[in-house]
Amino acid sequence: MSTIKSLDPRVTRFNIEEDDQSMQPLERRDYFETYEVFHQAKRGGRHTHVGSVHAPSPEMAFLFAKEQYGRRSTSTSIWVVRTSDIHTVGDEHSDMWENVPEKQYREAGFYKVRSRIEQFKKRHNDS
Amino acid sequence: MYGGGYIFDKPLQDHKDDDDPVKLAEFEARIDRGEKVEPHDWMPFEYRRQLIRLIEQHAHSEIIGALPEGTWITRAPGFRRKLALAAKVQDEVGHAQLLYNAAETLGKSREEMINDLISGKSKYSNVFNYPAKTWADTAVIAWLIDAGAIVNQVTNSKGSYAPYCRALERICQEESFHLKYGYDAVVHLATGTPAQREVLQDALNRWWPPIMHFFGPPDNASVHGEKLMRWKVKMASNDDMRQQFLNMYVPKIWELELTLPDPNLRKNPETRRWEYTEPDWDEFKRVINGDGPCNKERLAVRRTAEERGKWVREALLRPETQYSVPLS
Amino acid sequence: MTASNEALKSLLYATADDLLILGHRNSEWTGLGPLLEEDIAFSSMAQDQMGQSLALYEILQRDLGERDPDTIAFLRPESEYRCCHFVEYPIGSYAFSLMRHFLFDQASYLRFAALAESSFKPLAFVSRKLLGEIKYHIMHGNTWMAQLSRGGEESHARMQSALNEAFPMALGIFEKLEHEEELVDAGVYAGSAQLRDLWLQHIEPALAHGGLALPELNAQEAGTAFFGGRKGFHSEHLGSLIEEMGAVLRSDPSADW
Repeated sequence: MSTIKSLDPRVTRFNIEEDDQSMQPLERRDYFETYEVFHQAKRGGRHTHVGSVHAPSPEMAFLFAKEQYGRRSTSTSIWVVRTSDIHTVGDEHSDMWENVPEKQYREAGFYKVRSRIEQFKKRHNDS
Repeated sequence: MYGGGYIFDKPLQDHKDDDDPVKLAEFEARIDRGEKVEPHDWMPFEYRRQLIRLIEQHAHSEIIGALPEGTWITRAPGFRRKLALAAKVQDEVGHAQLLYNAAETLGKSREEMINDLISGKSKYSNVFNYPAKTWADTAVIAWLIDAGAIVNQVTNSKGSYAPYCRALERICQEESFHLKYGYDAVVHLATGTPAQREVLQDALNRWWPPIMHFFGPPDNASVHGEKLMRWKVKMASNDDMRQQFLNMYVPKIWELELTLPDPNLRKNPETRRWEYTEPDWDEFKRVINGDGPCNKERLAVRRTAEERGKWVREALLRPETQYSVPLS
Repeated sequence: MTASNEALKSLLYATADDLLILGHRNSEWTGLGPLLEEDIAFSSMAQDQMGQSLALYEILQRDLGERDPDTIAFLRPESEYRCCHFVEYPIGSYAFSLMRHFLFDQASYLRFAALAESSFKPLAFVSRKLLGEIKYHIMHGNTWMAQLSRGGEESHARMQSALNEAFPMALGIFEKLEHEEELVDAGVYAGSAQLRDLWLQHIEPALAHGGLALPELNAQEAGTAFFGGRKGFHSEHLGSLIEEMGAVLRSDPSADW
């Protein structure tokens, strides 16, 4: 069987058989499990989630994460975590994360005393 | 790099639209409020299906697109171009990985997507079925195809599906380096020797029709299209994106005293829209369906890479591990 | 005593040409690798290696009066290249490329670690700067070696066979340089034989961890089978690669690309 002669010298050297249709379809998990990647851009900063990689082991996930999420800018640290090790609750419970607006007594902006002080001063000066 | 415009599947004939009307109303209200959709949110069947198709084709385009440009890494003239081209093509492979992961969050595995690419069931951007014959071709690709891709991707990044938007945000940052690099390479050829100008003009002539094809055929409004627009899957018409591209780049091409092989190309001062000869849409269809100059080779390379890599992946696979859909 | 420019050039060309050629070879995996993530990694290492060679060609130009890096890297005749045969061979199977990467980068690290102490200051300075990059290459190589050589029978056999093929070739890295005695006496270079012995000690644990055994070599393989590169005699594969690397540049060397 003849091999592909390409404009691409790399492809020619790769000796690809022409009209070879024999490939077996990939099987589920041919490309491993997934890891979530957290990246710290500078020391003292937070690790932020930047995406995921497919990898067969934490060591490999680390290499792939460095390549994908740390190849252009300097990183100080990268974490990889198996996606299946991250726990969350499903969408049907998402309403429990909402905050009702009535709980403003827990917010700094709720406490406004300036006008009261001004009134007090005004009263004091008037008397 | 991705183009091909929005070519979505026809609505399924046999699929009953059995989405829960209450949930559908909530979903649409969320999109109307400008909120993004996350993977675990409820979404209509058709939304999921069309997004998978869109993102998957985008991913395939990146990995196949690495081939015509990768061709020139060993031959790039001098260190500066060689290193930049290597980094650029590397980015394209990186984009494929980001996009496959974004598509996976919708429930289709990378393996299934690659199987569909290799069997021809799933498409990729038509431009990559044309050969990069000279160094000037890579300069034109890096400048104009990437420019087209940025128009497309910036538009798509305003869409409703959060993981796709996040991937695109990252991709667009990297593409801006590609565009600058490509422009720099083109300008060097255009302002260089007569032979350099000649090879550049020739490349531009050959790439112009695929570039016009890049944004896809004019889309005629359909009920189907309207729904995808409303759901912010489709963010602009193919023609609008093409206009935006022409408006930004034709003046830059003309500034370099290069010509484009379309005597009718001009901006109508009244309508402020570009007029041009419609590219050959039959050719577009032929090529997308497998009959382009490089389709066979591109898929053969991809297939061979998968086959020869199989033992590597098998050796690394640990049977006790479980696949999980990426989180976001 | 200080080393002559001729001796320094011999060292710099050998080191730079190894990196230039292997960098080109490794770049060929872009789009062809066994998994996307690994295409990206090989491209990073290819870029590092080409960048490292550029840093050395810049020393040749600035401190030793050679022509500009693009000219000397891409437009020399084959007989003036000083790379070893090992880096010239095509990428072959992924097992071969990975084994070559592992064996070469271990040697490269030791070579630059020694050169970081060199009495030739410009080289010492550049070498210190490159060590971090190469340290990552070693981590990449060791991780892959460990996983593939312990990844089942077929994979182990492929890695052992890649080692059998690559090991005698790799000895060519340590072919004696032209003017080597002079370089060693002047404290510029540790010496090829010494580096080889150090290298053998360093690759041993990773090979043992993966259950891989160094092949029994016949006299020729253990001797000079893959020698010649440091004197300008090359394998059949270099000529066409040089042709390819400089194809566009050579079409008009005076043009600005």
